[in-house]
Amino acid sequence: MIAGSSIISKAVDGLKPLKIPLLATLAAFGIGLVLIVAAGAPLKDALGALQDGMYGTPYALGASLNAAALLALVGGGFVVAARCGLTNVGGEGQINVGALAATAIGLHGAAHLPTPLPVVVPLIAAIIAGAVWGAIAGALKAWRGTNEVISTLLMNFVAIGLVSVAVHEQSLLRQPATSAQTLPNSPPLPEVTHLALLPLGSGSPGTIGIVIAALVLVAVAVLVRRSAFGLKLSSVALGKQAAARAGISPGSMEIAALALAGGAAGLAGGILMLSTPFILRDGFSSGYGFQGLVVGLLARGSAAGVVLAALLFGFLDTGGISLEVGVGVPSTVILIVEAVIVITIAGSAGLKFGRSKVRRATS
Amino acid sequence: MNQVQFAAFLTGGVRLALPVLFAAVGELVSERAGVLNLSLEGMMLSGAFGASVATAASGSALLGVCAGMFVALLFAAGQALLTVSAGANQLVVGIAANALALGVTSFAARHLLHDGAGDRLAGFDQLQIPLLHRLPFVGEALFGQASLAYIGLLLVALTLFALQRTGWGLAVTAVGEDAQAADRAGTPVRLVRTLAILWTGAMAGFGGAFIALADVHAFTQNMTAGRGYLAIVAVIAGGWIGRRVLVACVVFGAATALQFQAEALGIHVPVALLVISPYLLALLAVAGLVGRQRPPRNLTLPFTR
Repeated sequence: MIAGSSIISKAVDGLKPLKIPLLATLAAFGIGLVLIVAAGAPLKDALGALQDGMYGTPYALGASLNAAALLALVGGGFVVAARCGLTNVGGEGQINVGALAATAIGLHGAAHLPTPLPVVVPLIAAIIAGAVWGAIAGALKAWRGTNEVISTLLMNFVAIGLVSVAVHEQSLLRQPATSAQTLPNSPPLPEVTHLALLPLGSGSPGTIGIVIAALVLVAVAVLVRRSAFGLKLSSVALGKQAAARAGISPGSMEIAALALAGGAAGLAGGILMLSTPFILRDGFSSGYGFQGLVVGLLARGSAAGVVLAALLFGFLDTGGISLEVGVGVPSTVILIVEAVIVITIAGSAGLKFGRSKVRRATS
Repeated sequence: MNQVQFAAFLTGGVRLALPVLFAAVGELVSERAGVLNLSLEGMMLSGAFGASVATAASGSALLGVCAGMFVALLFAAGQALLTVSAGANQLVVGIAANALALGVTSFAARHLLHDGAGDRLAGFDQLQIPLLHRLPFVGEALFGQASLAYIGLLLVALTLFALQRTGWGLAVTAVGEDAQAADRAGTPVRLVRTLAILWTGAMAGFGGAFIALADVHAFTQNMTAGRGYLAIVAVIAGGWIGRRVLVACVVFGAATALQFQAEALGIHVPVALLVISPYLLALLAVAGLVGRQRPPRNLTLPFTR
């Protein structure tokens, strides 16, 4: 009896952190409904289209999970860096360099390797590129004291620009111009490099990237909560001098933390490239980096929270497209709903925890 | 490159630099007070939208500018309420606020600016200051801009003066460097930060209105296209110092203008390299590889007593 009730009360306690996110989501959906009516679409049709677009068809389900996997990778990386007291704003840039590396390797060299290397090698290249991109910000922080929020923010734009240079220059990754192919894109990656599809039903684009992301998130959970390395990371966040006296090099930890965060986001970029449409072009990442940052921040350090937030945004993003195509409600409604969710959660989190939180160690 | 081409390049560069400068000088005030508004982009976009709707409805561009500043001010008030009063994370609020601004302005434009009402807006014409605009090379660029530009430059001068030469500016800097110490010395930290964010909103709204009414003469979806982010980068590249931020904006404007005119001027560099250069410059500056520059010590830290 007693044991049973304590399990129940534990379960209720476990759900408590979800109260505010749930209320915020409900409130945001209320606003979304009002906007759908204001846009002049019949509510029933619109909700049907949204449902179909989120998970109603194998295609929708696969697309939603694909998006969620990318967001979870970026968010998971964010959580690792946050454990070290660092804010990785650079997910977007790390996705871009990851995709750039995966495309370069996938187009030149990887295709002739024996299976499964044509898939594995570009993904590893993406991880390395993202990790290097993150480690640069980490090294600037460790050696020059550069605020990582600012350096990672700036490096986003540099990486986006590098992708742009690569796809505009024929000597780099731009497809050869023919009468039919004139856009500044990379040529499509060869078929041997494409990620395997999961058996989610016919027409589903869901790739094995979803499984990879799930495995990475498990690793993040273990690393952050159950490993000596996670403890070292958090010791740096709590106090650099104390960490140094305990024999932990704060600088190395900072570099490692941002390299891991960058590696995870770089992997997301690689997975994105080895999925449809297999083409690198300007704006290919559609803001997964910034949205992944929001996912990581909302998760408040928990890998499970990352997964939940990533699923929410993944399903909403994909559903919004069908809302626009299906019943002519602009997909910007979904943008508004998502923003309201984020702002409400961030605002209430600040109110609740902002007063007593330990001040972030400043260098 | 002949004189006419060079003058056109300079004029274009200054015209592109101006809205970024207005927003950047506004953002400078916030950042000196310790608040990083990633929502600057959203403030500019909502300013451009407010200015367009009011101008389309009333036919008066001056009223439009006021409306643009007002809408952006409301937007900034939301940012201040969340990040200063509620202590929410500045970055997450900023990113979400940009998404909100993009969503709301795109959605509302379909209702308030339908049937092409936002396509041709009354705006501000070029004002050619007598004699001075005939100066060789720089005349047109400095003395032949839209009349709204000179009002904006006046606001910029006032802001920089207030920041550097008044007690109010001293309070802003104190709050941004060490909010706890400023609080102990009796400075109302939350009030100073709130006012700083509101001023940022007004200036960014002015910048947005400038793009809509003095440059493009129309409203289009996501028309600010990253210029708010560029303004934030200008503040960083300028090392949080007013006159250097001004120089950074002019350099960025010139780089942008060069993209459009590189071909005509016979310069062969990949356009995207020009796009990267401001960010790379800012990164080198903030990394201390080009001059040692330090952000305000309490930047992005919420104040807790």
